[in-house]
Amino acid sequence: MVKVVKSTVLDAPVEAVWDVLRDFNGHDQWHPAIADSLIDRGYSSDKVGCVRRFHLQDGSELREQLLTLSDADMAFSYCLLETPVPLLNYVAHVRLAPVTDGDQTFWVWESRFDTPQGREKELHQMVAENIYQSGFDAVRLHMGLEST
Amino acid sequence: MPRVYISSVIEAPAAKVWDRVRDFNALPRWHPRIRDSRIENGEPSDRVGCVRDFHLQNGERIREKLLGLSDYDMFCTYAILESPMPLTDYVATLRLTPITDGNRTFAEWTAEFDCAETDAEGLVAGIGNDVFQAGFSALKRSVVN
Repeated sequence: MVKVVKSTVLDAPVEAVWDVLRDFNGHDQWHPAIADSLIDRGYSSDKVGCVRRFHLQDGSELREQLLTLSDADMAFSYCLLETPVPLLNYVAHVRLAPVTDGDQTFWVWESRFDTPQGREKELHQMVAENIYQSGFDAVRLHMGLEST
Repeated sequence: MPRVYISSVIEAPAAKVWDRVRDFNALPRWHPRIRDSRIENGEPSDRVGCVRDFHLQNGERIREKLLGLSDYDMFCTYAILESPMPLTDYVATLRLTPITDGNRTFAEWTAEFDCAETDAEGLVAGIGNDVFQAGFSALKRSVVN
């Protein structure tokens, strides 16, 4: 089983970052890898159990299910249901926390998954850099923030 | 139940910051408000259940018991046994999390306790500013250099 953990600090109050991240259907607004996204069955994107169906820029389709959403903890978790990339048993967690002495936001994004044998390193790198790190950078850009 | 939460970003790798704070008997070495400390009964300071007996710079004495210590998750949880503060059932956790973007440290210090309603605001502010924030500010100055 592969474990990926990435974290960063954004130069914005935690409420503002949570406002962007809590919309499970909003990632196509900021993540450069996502072309479009919609929630199956017309459910609201904060309904725990809802499924987002989205396309990457190359046209491949993925479906992910919202497992947890907590405004109290500013956290959510989700799993992959269908994917052309062999990330198996993929469960990811996102959590925000305030940096109280700087009015900034700590953001951690982590996951565990299985891969076909021999592809662990490649897929670890792909998730860590192309999804999580580039997601951090994209939210910074989306919110008009400087790097910290 | 009043709750204190203070967090900070320290510009040093988490392992380095943890090395400084994991020793339950080391407060005088990094916290400016603590004058001296000893572990009761000569026990090692990483023995869960050990008690530290220490003095603030103003001479006040506090005894605290180590409830949990994790080198894997980098946290330390402890309870106050004796202190001059008008509170009971005080449990605090100091936790470090790596910030992979920049190889820095996210530090969080939380406490919960019971007290008279009229004391709550003062205790939350005092513990938050004088103990937790003062500790983080000192760590920021010392670990980075």
